[in-house]
Amino acid sequence: MISDKSVVADIERTSIHDGPGIRTVIFFKGCPLNCVWCHNPECIKSEPQEMFYPEKCIGCGMCKYGCFSGARVICGKEMTAEEIFQEIFADKAYYFSDGGVTFSGGEPLMHTAVIKEIIKKCKKNNINTAIETSLFLFDCDLLESLDFIMADFKIFDSNKHKKYTGVSNDIIKKNFLKLDKLNVPFIVRTPVIPGINNTTDEIMQIRDYVKVFKNIMGYELLPYHPLGVSKQRALGLPETQFDIPTNEEMEKLKSYADLRG
Amino acid sequence: MLTYEDRIRELRKKKINDTLLKRDQNGYTDLDDFGTVPLPVGYKVEPWYNSKNGSFYGYDGMSENFCRVMDAHPPYVDPLEMLCGRWRDMLVNYRGDVHYMPKWRQKQLSMEELEASGVTAQWSKRWDEIRFPYDELKPLQKRYNITTGIDGDAHFACDYSIGLSLGFGGFLEKINKYRTINPDKKEFYDAEEKCVNAIIRFIDRHTDEIKNLLKTETRPEIKENLEQMLETNLAVRVNKPETFRQACQWVTYFNCASRVYTRDGAGFQLDTLLLPYYKNDIKNGILDDETAKFLIANLLLIDPHYYQVSGVDEKDNDLTNHLSYLVLEAADMINISANLTVRVHENCDREFLKKAVYYLLKNKNGWPRFCCDKTLTEGYMKNGISKEIARKRIAVGCNWMCVPGKEFPMNDTVKINIAKVLEQALIEMKGIEEKSTEKLFRLFTKHLKTAIEVTAKGINLHLDHQWEVTPELIMNLMMENTLEKGLDISQCAELYTIGVDGAGLAVVADSFGALETRVENEKLLSWDEVYKNLDNNFEGVKGERVRLMLNSSPKYCGGNTVSDKWARRLTDIWVDKVKAQSMPGKRQLIPGWFSWSRTIEYGSVVGATPNGRKNGEPISHGANPNPHFRVDGAVTAQSSGIAAVQCGYGNTAPLQLEFDPQLALNENSVDVITKLILGHFSEGGTLININILDTDKLMAANNNPELYPDLVVRVTGFTAYFASLSPEFRQLVVDRFLIHM
Repeated sequence: MISDKSVVADIERTSIHDGPGIRTVIFFKGCPLNCVWCHNPECIKSEPQEMFYPEKCIGCGMCKYGCFSGARVICGKEMTAEEIFQEIFADKAYYFSDGGVTFSGGEPLMHTAVIKEIIKKCKKNNINTAIETSLFLFDCDLLESLDFIMADFKIFDSNKHKKYTGVSNDIIKKNFLKLDKLNVPFIVRTPVIPGINNTTDEIMQIRDYVKVFKNIMGYELLPYHPLGVSKQRALGLPETQFDIPTNEEMEKLKSYADLRG
Repeated sequence: MLTYEDRIRELRKKKINDTLLKRDQNGYTDLDDFGTVPLPVGYKVEPWYNSKNGSFYGYDGMSENFCRVMDAHPPYVDPLEMLCGRWRDMLVNYRGDVHYMPKWRQKQLSMEELEASGVTAQWSKRWDEIRFPYDELKPLQKRYNITTGIDGDAHFACDYSIGLSLGFGGFLEKINKYRTINPDKKEFYDAEEKCVNAIIRFIDRHTDEIKNLLKTETRPEIKENLEQMLETNLAVRVNKPETFRQACQWVTYFNCASRVYTRDGAGFQLDTLLLPYYKNDIKNGILDDETAKFLIANLLLIDPHYYQVSGVDEKDNDLTNHLSYLVLEAADMINISANLTVRVHENCDREFLKKAVYYLLKNKNGWPRFCCDKTLTEGYMKNGISKEIARKRIAVGCNWMCVPGKEFPMNDTVKINIAKVLEQALIEMKGIEEKSTEKLFRLFTKHLKTAIEVTAKGINLHLDHQWEVTPELIMNLMMENTLEKGLDISQCAELYTIGVDGAGLAVVADSFGALETRVENEKLLSWDEVYKNLDNNFEGVKGERVRLMLNSSPKYCGGNTVSDKWARRLTDIWVDKVKAQSMPGKRQLIPGWFSWSRTIEYGSVVGATPNGRKNGEPISHGANPNPHFRVDGAVTAQSSGIAAVQCGYGNTAPLQLEFDPQLALNENSVDVITKLILGHFSEGGTLININILDTDKLMAANNNPELYPDLVVRVTGFTAYFASLSPEFRQLVVDRFLIHM
């Protein structure tokens, strides 16, 4: 049975970094990948989880009656398409023609039923729709109905991809080919993780693979940031931290990410 | 040869030095910069007191002391500027009000004055309590922490077109003409005449100073500038201005006088009023755009008056013109504290709007800010005002609008601390068996009504007697019906739409929201527990847990939360009660939400509140939400929340935003901010103040303000030099900023 609810980790309004214009980002829980650098580790598991921030604990000893200090928080809330849409619709006045909703996560394509319902409502209300996906999953109808797609291409080599994300990228490469046939504009993004994929060879390989696509609008590099580390700690997961790429390093790599190159 | 650019650079340097010098002279001010310059060594005024309480009042007291202060003012001529004149001191410094006095003035107080200042327990002696006491109002004013407006001055707007068409000589002719028609108003006309003559003497001293400087000036381009400055001075001494430079110089002199008199900072529609002069000079080949820009920059340097630019006329035609662009470019050129407001309308020039946003992002100095024509005009019309008049009600104050020449609104001088009103309702409910948020709301409404009634009595007392206490002798010169009737503007304005602001909305809304959530819906707390913790200020770990429980309830601006619902309900009752308040004659009250910069002061008298705020902590700022109103701090949620609590009668509930410039200065960031502005206004917003600050710079400046004398922050509706603010106020700005990061 297809669930009419999805577990949402967070909804962020006024985002200006997750697609064009002003956007509302829906972070769904659940992801088939397990990237070692993941900056949203609370979105990997599908179920709600408790996160513990000991520095906020006031030592009242009343945890079982509910925590209000922010030390123990439950991440994940079941929401219907309508409930999520109401959050999106709240910012209608700020979207204009290019802003709107971005489905993110986790892997939003694990939530196709709810997202399709939301997209219908957005279309009726002229709200732009976009997705941030690993493309490990594929839903032709859903992706085709979007206005904009941001797809990750994290590592070119399949074995290396499997080592650092938990899955091979063979299926992702195939899904890129399918994606290009949908006639939906998309951009490709690579998170730059020092020690893993911060080489010009890596970037050039990905660039050469994607530059032939007819619907590709750009290839972006996103510098690693350690936002996920405190969340790993709060979830009781092993902490994995990397160096933050320097501006010079990013500029150099970006020069190899030019699709005309 | 010095270029305009070289000269501006030097003037900025001087301004920065002056800011630090002024701080040493005046102490921390927590106020607008006002454009004053430091006092020279040996500056002294001998005030003339006509009241035994150590102050002066009325036509004779105000005009005589205005002359004394003006005559004591040394001329200010900087050969690098094109305009001359500055103000340094003001009459209120001599009205026995030791609490508001700058440091230098306190040092100068004679024993006699000190004794006089202690004659009564009166905080400010701007009001003559001996003749017009209001002791019967004081208990309730204190109970509800009301800023009464009694003793206020200025806070309305002159019609500069009156002055520009007459000149100072024209004022004298008009005074003499109507003096014969109204012979019983001799005292009024004598005082007005005396003031105008003091302004002319002030100009004459500048003329002498220019002549002196000309004797030694050797740089040809600067000598030429001084010669033109001399010519301009001679031209505007009594005659009306004819050229763009003369108009700017005339405005400068009037502004200096008006500032000295009552610190009046209301400007005008800068880009349309000066447009005929600009066009005429361009046509005659005596002005170019670079010179026009330098002149506007000079005007803005001299005084950060509140000027409006852009907007629409009564037929919805866009007013944006070439001069509007030059104003922005000039402000960018001088790039100091400025109080420019762009009036946004659906027909407004989008390129102009984007350019205004671009400068906001580029300079990070808090200017310009943005107001919405539609909501302000349509709202004001609901008071029974025509569209033509409503359109003329322009942004000329901290959070406020005024119809130049016609309106006497006392805007921003009257406020009710509704957190204090809530406190009274809570105290009353404590003794009642049946407790509920509904009951509390009914009690809140009852106390609010009482607070508004006593506020109205204070306003009426003020309006009935202001002319006998602080007649507006300078601003009267450019108001309608004043000189014609021999009456002070406080007596004869066409419009008495009096602004009354509520302060502390978020504290009260979140308190109701928290009580409904934790006590009534979830039943996690009893009323007794709430009262016990309010009384003991959430002491101990258990108290802290209760505080956090209340404070973590869904807040106002959280996005259709229980507290958002309460904020709208509070707005409805606030508007109903303010509008229902009966007032004599043409007077009517207009509601708004605004705290000005009094959040610390207002909070200090309010005990712990049910939103988890501790005793004495600052109340919320204006219509803004409390800190941590949402986990994501979404600006759009804040914007929508504030748009939903607009009072709807033409006064504002401003949206105050703080951004870190992680936003790169590019087309995209300009686009995002523009959309936020247009989005807020489309939802019903009235006014937006935006601070774009660099977090690291702000933190460093908070530790060492002397090292950042050029850092300007938008405090509320006004901008100020960060280094001039008190440590407490700096911290408030920093805290407010950090919660959005």
